[in-house]
Amino acid sequence: MIDPADLLPEGLEDRLPHSAAAATRVERAVLDLLDAHGYDRVRPPLVEFEPAMMRRMTGMHTRHMFRFVDPASLRMLALRSDMTPQVGRIAATGLADRPRPLRLCYAGQVARMVGDMLDPRRENLQLGAELIGSDGVAAAGELVELAIAALEAAGATGISVDFTLPDSVDLLAAEQSLDQATTQAIRRELDSKDAGALVAAGGEAFVPLLYASGPFDHAIARLAEFDTGAILASRIEGLRQVAARVGGRARLTLDPAERHGFGYQSWFGFTLYADGVRGALGRGGSYQIAGTDDAATGFSLYPDELVERLGAAEIRRDCLFLPLGHDPAAGASARHEGWRAISALTADDDAAALGCTHVLAEGAIRPL
Amino acid sequence: MGQSRPLTFAVPKGRILEEALPVMARAGIVPEAAFHDKGNRALSFASDDGATRIIRVRAFDVATFVAFGAAQAGIVGSDVIEEFDYSELYAPVDLAIGHCRLSVAEPREGQGADDLSARASHLRIATKYPNIASRWFERRGIQAECVKLNGAMELAPSLGLSGRIVDLVSSGRTLAENGLVETDRIMEVSARLIVNRAALKTDPRVAKLVDRFRALVPVAEPA
Repeated sequence: MIDPADLLPEGLEDRLPHSAAAATRVERAVLDLLDAHGYDRVRPPLVEFEPAMMRRMTGMHTRHMFRFVDPASLRMLALRSDMTPQVGRIAATGLADRPRPLRLCYAGQVARMVGDMLDPRRENLQLGAELIGSDGVAAAGELVELAIAALEAAGATGISVDFTLPDSVDLLAAEQSLDQATTQAIRRELDSKDAGALVAAGGEAFVPLLYASGPFDHAIARLAEFDTGAILASRIEGLRQVAARVGGRARLTLDPAERHGFGYQSWFGFTLYADGVRGALGRGGSYQIAGTDDAATGFSLYPDELVERLGAAEIRRDCLFLPLGHDPAAGASARHEGWRAISALTADDDAAALGCTHVLAEGAIRPL
Repeated sequence: MGQSRPLTFAVPKGRILEEALPVMARAGIVPEAAFHDKGNRALSFASDDGATRIIRVRAFDVATFVAFGAAQAGIVGSDVIEEFDYSELYAPVDLAIGHCRLSVAEPREGQGADDLSARASHLRIATKYPNIASRWFERRGIQAECVKLNGAMELAPSLGLSGRIVDLVSSGRTLAENGLVETDRIMEVSARLIVNRAALKTDPRVAKLVDRFRALVPVAEPA
């Protein structure tokens, strides 16, 4: 019986050895991959002044962050719910003088004040990479390719990438000189993909956006047909180049009006999915770092659901038991060869109960 | 998402189902015979062609099953979609069935005493739709204290539980028989095809399903 006083708050959990091992492996695999592509890791703090958490990204809110007063400065602090703005701050301050493009990566826990019924989790592992100094097609291609590779390295299969053009609705609305209320109503109906309500909201001209979604090649062709004024032409061309670069490595789809989770992205965004993982695994896109001249492109992965799945499938690893009085040099050499080895504490230690599969006996490693 | 597994399609018990079945049939989803057997207590049925599993649940649960991705698609009233406002739900096709409206009603004799033009800043509302109701009243500068009921809303005003109700109205007969009058229409309601966002993007069968339903209901698709 667990004493109720030991229960964790809703949406928070311990990762026990199986899933902690899976989480560690995922984190390490992704960071190694990013390191191999020249992305330097940065480690921003857990807590910062509240305004710093939002001022670098237009559309970022601190409403869902844990916030409290700093007894030292008497200013509001916020616990991070997304590390991207922190990386933006680092690029705009400590690394402002470094030559661009600047390649940075990060891994850490993020938290939000409330979960919801569909996703009660209030703490997540966030892994990501940001390329600061470019939001062009080449940068977009590099980041999408890297995001796919990162998911592959993490153990995801059946990867699917959904592209979007986050600012396309604004561009089209501006072109038609629609007022803000109408634009908002149109966005709302585009969000639910409700063609009937979209027409009712005065967004008849936007209905084709709903049909220009689905498998990439088909959808982008429809979007190009619809874009008779060539307002989106450069974006369409950019997307085609990105898609050509990663084609064959993932299933590609397009949904130009998608904006769930794209609060601050500009011309380009993408969402990542994988087989057997409920909901999105991550997203990325291009954006501006406010208060600087820097444009940037990046992605973040939230692999907790994937970790759950991998943790369940975690296989038991071999482990070597080193009995009391064993030759320390033999133990050291076994570990050097890659063995995971447990040294006996007492003469009564039971190798099998400790999870060992092999034992060191008379200088040789034997199966238990 | 395992392509070999059947798609799960959620349909609501009650009001909409009778009208939805012919539409589903035209889109190629025909439940096995046991579905129509009143004595059958099963909740999950195969379709005739085995490609779909049909689950019959409460209307509000249709939205939850689909938003969670436990079912990939379903049919539900726009009232339910609006109440939950799940970001994981798409409602791509208005099926133009199950028409009714969501309205505010109040006791006939009490009308005028504290009507909405000379209103207080607080009102107590009995409803199955606390989110829609409080949002609607909020826009009119009224703090609505919602009492969530699951049925028989019409009883609430006469027994003093609340001054007004927010409920579905089709003919208005139930209201009239309980001494209530409709004062405001909050929204027109019709049944929608809903799909899970991630499923639409990762499972080609879901997009095909949407296309089949779209073909049944002509909307303003461009030439």
